Amino acid sequence: MTKLTRRTLLGTMGVAAAATALPRLPAMAADRTIRHFWWGNPNRDKRTFDVIAAFQKKHPDIEVSGETIGWGDYWTKMATQTAGRNMADLVQMDYRYLFEYTRRGALKPLDEYIGKTLMIEDFDQGPISGGKVDGQLYALNIGSNSQVVTYNTRLIKEAGVEFDPINWTHEDFARVCEAVTKASGGKIKGCDDLSVYIEDAEAWIRQRGNEFYDADGNVSATVDDMSTYWQHWADLRAKEIIVGKERTLTLDEALAERGIIKGDAAMSAIWSNQVVGTQALMQDEVGAAMLPHLKDGKPGQFIKPSMFMSLSRDAKDVDAAIAYMNDWVNDPEITAILGLERGIPCSAKVREALAPNLSPVEQLTMTYFNAIQDKVAPLPLPAPKGAGEVRDSFRRTASEVILGNMSAADAATMFIEDAQSIVERAR
Amino acid sequence: MKRILARNAPGYLFLSPWLLGFFLLALGPILASLYLSFTRYDMVSDPRWIGWGNYEYMFTRDRRFWKALEVTFTYVAFAVPLRLAFALAVAMLLDKGLKTIGLYRAIFYLPSLLGASIAIAILWRELFSATGVVNQMLALVGIEGTDWITNPKTSIYTLVMLAVWQFGSPMLIFLAGLRGIPKDLYEAAEIDGTPRWRRFTRITLPLLAPVIFFNLVLQTIDAFKTFSSAFIISNGTGAPADSLLFFTVYLFNEAFKFFRMGYASALAWVLLIIIGVFTALAFLSSKYWVHYDNDRD
Repeated sequence: MTKLTRRTLLGTMGVAAAATALPRLPAMAADRTIRHFWWGNPNRDKRTFDVIAAFQKKHPDIEVSGETIGWGDYWTKMATQTAGRNMADLVQMDYRYLFEYTRRGALKPLDEYIGKTLMIEDFDQGPISGGKVDGQLYALNIGSNSQVVTYNTRLIKEAGVEFDPINWTHEDFARVCEAVTKASGGKIKGCDDLSVYIEDAEAWIRQRGNEFYDADGNVSATVDDMSTYWQHWADLRAKEIIVGKERTLTLDEALAERGIIKGDAAMSAIWSNQVVGTQALMQDEVGAAMLPHLKDGKPGQFIKPSMFMSLSRDAKDVDAAIAYMNDWVNDPEITAILGLERGIPCSAKVREALAPNLSPVEQLTMTYFNAIQDKVAPLPLPAPKGAGEVRDSFRRTASEVILGNMSAADAATMFIEDAQSIVERAR
Repeated sequence: MKRILARNAPGYLFLSPWLLGFFLLALGPILASLYLSFTRYDMVSDPRWIGWGNYEYMFTRDRRFWKALEVTFTYVAFAVPLRLAFALAVAMLLDKGLKTIGLYRAIFYLPSLLGASIAIAILWRELFSATGVVNQMLALVGIEGTDWITNPKTSIYTLVMLAVWQFGSPMLIFLAGLRGIPKDLYEAAEIDGTPRWRRFTRITLPLLAPVIFFNLVLQTIDAFKTFSSAFIISNGTGAPADSLLFFTVYLFNEAFKFFRMGYASALAWVLLIIIGVFTALAFLSSKYWVHYDNDRD
């Protein structure tokens, strides 16, 4: 009796197993498949899926499946897939994470394909070399960008305030904030509260002649760097000319949360490739300014690879993946679809081809990019392991200052200690 | 022996889907996490044995670990009693032999079905934001509200409210318990002129004690494990100023944001032990306040 039951059971299980296996059989002739995973926004996703369609038309034997998700969840999903040995063949990579992923062995070097199937020899070598780790190329630059203070031209005009968007100082910045706030009767503030963004603080530290991390990956920023920085923002906050704490503390990374788009601030800090996306979400025309300078200070902001494409350790059909990568940066149709949305391409040929057809906002980005070339500092050294966590700690500590729980000086002491121990622990 | 087995076989048979799931799907990962808790594991390279290192760091150097405990304990201390009290109150209101009782039960249970969902957490965030409905209502009666979510002093209580609102499942259990109390006891008490409050404390509570105990244990375990609402409302970081740094949120961040799987595993085991200790305490204390019917035998 029991025997029979067991056999029946096994039989049923066999049928069930066969049933689940069935849909896995290849349904189409395109037996070469690659997966591409990127972080995006609606505009970027549309462009990327269009690229995939164009690529598949050119290569009918290769099927590309695209996966997209917002920046915040991207790295969580990426870590999970990496641990599960299930990474997409091609992954979008960021400068901050490149070294962690490379040194953990999750990416494959691209050097052996250069000049054969990956034609990037005539590209600007500066931006390309940003994807090198320990002498080997692990990430293909798919666009360069830099920090930008984007501003609502209508609000600035209405406030009747003038400034030089390239050569302005922190004093000018405060003056503009004050004028905008006054002109709107306090309803619209000058700028988002940037004191929660470590990227903004990094520029400040460099303007003071220091670096956040030194060559050995130690925290080089000092308590004085940080306390002057947070005090500067505390002063602006006290004057109520920047966006209030309710908005700042809930502010997440999403572009749509920025004051310039929400309409409660005239300026927001973003990356230059996001100017296109910002304009798409706004009625008023936007402008682009550099991060304000310190009077007689050094250059602070820098041009960096905005995004990379990397070949993952788990890639199976490497040839197909490289073909996709190559078309991504060379194919005229595909580069035209991409435009400047991911940053300025590092191929002079591609830039030339794009130039006549640029939209006004793309033109603005390009002009801005050209104008800052000799005003920027070199690319900072790659951040050490734990940099992502330091960023979180920065935001947390900045929140304490914003809430008034801590003075700028106390917060600076605590943060520097915290950052040092995070980096220490990550080793 | 054989007889016992024969008698219990149907029981095990009915348990078998769960047992299969446990042995095939849960036991392996549980043992793996115990092993990982003694390693340093970044999900990409292989785990490296470091003995008690994770636990040592946690208890001696990790400030955020203690913060996470503080937040979680505060939440448990408020959410569990409030939710149970609310559930019991609603259950007693519903236990009046209404004809449409089924409908009401369903309506009152609804929040619990929705409660775990992402949408509700987002809705909650909007309700309690600076310009949210809550503040608009308060403004009507002349009270100026704060921004409940971004104010670290109040943020956790918005989550407590969310927990209280999801009183459905303990309510159903209370309702079933209330039905089991013999009505003649109340009738006798009424004839004796016992006031309503005394009827509640002398009849309802003692006879309901086993059900209260059951709910208490279940809800405490549940509260310690709170994750999705805190995760959504705090943008996944425990913000503002770590005031929503629930233990599980901290654990998630350590695991999936900072790639410290080993440390996160150690955190998970500490949480398990904490829940175990609290459950054991509840069971030990139950001797003094929970009396079962068959105690009288």
